[in-house]
Amino acid sequence: MKSKALALGLLCAVAAAGSANAQPAAPAAITIGTLYASSGPYASISMPVFDAFKLWVDQTNAAGGVEVKAFGKKIPIKLVAYDDQSSTATAATLYNQLITQDHVDLLVADSGSVLTSVGVPIAKEHKQFLFDVSGTGAAFFTKDNPYIALMSDPVSTIWPHYISDFLADQGVKEGVKTVAILYSTNDFTGTQAAALKGFFERDGKVKIVYYQGVPTTTSNYTVLINNIAALNPDAVLELGYVGNDIAFLRNLQDSGEKFRFVFSIYAGTEKEEIEKNVGISAMNGIYSYVPASDYEYKPDVGMDQKAFHAAWDKKYPPGSGVAFGANAIYGYMTGLVVQQTLATTKSLDQMAIHDAVFGLSGKLKTLDGTFELRDDGAQIGEVTPLGQLQPEGKDKLKLVAVYPPDLANGKAIIGK
Amino acid sequence: MWRRRGWRAFARHDDEGILDDQGTLHDDTNMLTGAIIAGVVFGLYYTLVGLGLNLVFGVMRIVNLAHGDFLMLGGIAAWFLFTSLGLHPLVSAGLVVVVFVLIGLPIYYLVVPRLLRSRDSEMLSLILFFGVSQMIEAVTTIGLGSTERSLPPRLLGVGPVILFGTRLPKAWIFSAIASAVAVLLVYLYLYRTRLGTLTRAVMVSRDEALATGIDVNFVSAVAFGISLALAGVAGVFAPFILGSITPNMGVAINITAFAVIVVGTLGNPLGTLLGGIIYGVSLMLMQTYLSSWANLLPNLLLIAVLLVRPEGIFGRKVRRA
Repeated sequence: MKSKALALGLLCAVAAAGSANAQPAAPAAITIGTLYASSGPYASISMPVFDAFKLWVDQTNAAGGVEVKAFGKKIPIKLVAYDDQSSTATAATLYNQLITQDHVDLLVADSGSVLTSVGVPIAKEHKQFLFDVSGTGAAFFTKDNPYIALMSDPVSTIWPHYISDFLADQGVKEGVKTVAILYSTNDFTGTQAAALKGFFERDGKVKIVYYQGVPTTTSNYTVLINNIAALNPDAVLELGYVGNDIAFLRNLQDSGEKFRFVFSIYAGTEKEEIEKNVGISAMNGIYSYVPASDYEYKPDVGMDQKAFHAAWDKKYPPGSGVAFGANAIYGYMTGLVVQQTLATTKSLDQMAIHDAVFGLSGKLKTLDGTFELRDDGAQIGEVTPLGQLQPEGKDKLKLVAVYPPDLANGKAIIGK
Repeated sequence: MWRRRGWRAFARHDDEGILDDQGTLHDDTNMLTGAIIAGVVFGLYYTLVGLGLNLVFGVMRIVNLAHGDFLMLGGIAAWFLFTSLGLHPLVSAGLVVVVFVLIGLPIYYLVVPRLLRSRDSEMLSLILFFGVSQMIEAVTTIGLGSTERSLPPRLLGVGPVILFGTRLPKAWIFSAIASAVAVLLVYLYLYRTRLGTLTRAVMVSRDEALATGIDVNFVSAVAFGISLALAGVAGVFAPFILGSITPNMGVAINITAFAVIVVGTLGNPLGTLLGGIIYGVSLMLMQTYLSSWANLLPNLLLIAVLLVRPEGIFGRKVRRA
């Protein structure tokens, strides 16, 4: 009788120990929720991100799914995506829906600061980690919010420092003394404008003679350019979204005004899109950021820029609607971070996801450069060199990195 | 002088003003004059944008909330004709007029007579044409994608035209001329043709016109077709004036066009000229002195006119053309 009871006890103990060590049942799919804007002012930056992210999902699923360390196996990805139509109100509702109704495992924000801004507090409130693709607004990143990390762009306060450094360094040597800053009033460009203003005032080498914001919906800059020209600045920095930059560069060409240094964000970062709408002659000599789509970083993970561009062209042939550019890189790069996160996370608990993402900081090298996070989730690794669009042959422009010197692959030509 | 300094002080307080303390009175005057001249020319484009919308309201007492989307389709047509056939936009403008008039006739007969038989046709037209607007936007997005499209600036000439010392793009002059021609043609149509006389009769009273044997539906259908043609022509110039065209631009265009026609008097197509110029000048002044707030302008104008002079600038005396 005693031996029977002992055997039963041992059996129970073994069973209990076994259940304690067993991994939780693996889900049938890893659900990733995201938003995109198929229409509205942010469609131009949202759709390339979304299409590239879908490309990564399709490639991953074709390979049998994503490796999830917590379950020790590959699991297919299920993408739940909603169209916010560039509306922050719609985006807020849909972020809530993804978290509370769809119960997604991972949440990926829409592209850009405006449509990310409403997701940040919602994700924080629900303790859901937010993969922030390119929302670089400085206010998103605070020490009391562990539920966010910026994937692909440096935070807006860091991003523009090469512009001011270049002007203070090489610009001043060439006689650049005054600057006009015209920006769209949103988190993305507003933060960059404020940062630039601070850099110029701190350095005290280049004087700001014009500092003015315009609504992001602005589609005509003629009078603004005339007003800037009346103050005769050496450099003009226009910080806007794609639609703003198209209108600005067209109006600048139409106006016949010439400035020695003109900067626009998307002339370089969405070169194909801007070139299609503005034409080469209006872009010649314009300064811009050099995104990963025009700079070849050597990746440790995923495709390099050329291979990705080829994969993009195969899936979305040129002329099919969405142009290849920096935002396409950002979407694919976010997929790679998700992939590496799932490959290292201990569970799908959101703080475990946080730990896994931050564990990649400084170690992950992709086609977008080195992924490195500040404590508050801001991206500080992926730098954006200053570049200039210079002629390449008769009817082509090339984006040449001109600053900082260690990343430069060409020399800046400052107008006379 | 005090007032100008007052504006500057406000702007500087808002941390978005012109920071140059060396700006002279001469500079300020130039900026003011430049803003007014640019505003008049730019406003003429918005006259073209609002003209058709006001014509439809004047004749049918309905609000075509898809007006901005037809404008977008005009721009898409010009883009398509240029990229596929190499047609110059000024040629495309002529084609667009013909095609849009022809499109307008069946749309009118399909939608408007039923709408006008309802109890509250004005309100129902808002809902119905909002639906049409959404449909046009969605179909265009699905068919062409959501990105910006434009026409090469060189087509209307690169470089400025200097008007009273103010540099303006050549495209503005072309669109202002097109708008002036459109206003003139609408005037000649309304006041120098038999169909125009009948149109004005319908504008005064649809029921009385019907009672006197006027083919009210035909007259209205032609007006609807003309309205779409005007929107289409404005669309052809849109890439040059607004930088680019996107499938979603219709809503913003509608809001501005609505402000223009309310300011210039609802139902009075020719009042649109004044409304457009007031809008253009106000926008350029806002861009010069309070640029961050410029997108509030259509709404501010609407509220101001509705509070101070709800019948519009021209008021009742000319409301019915």
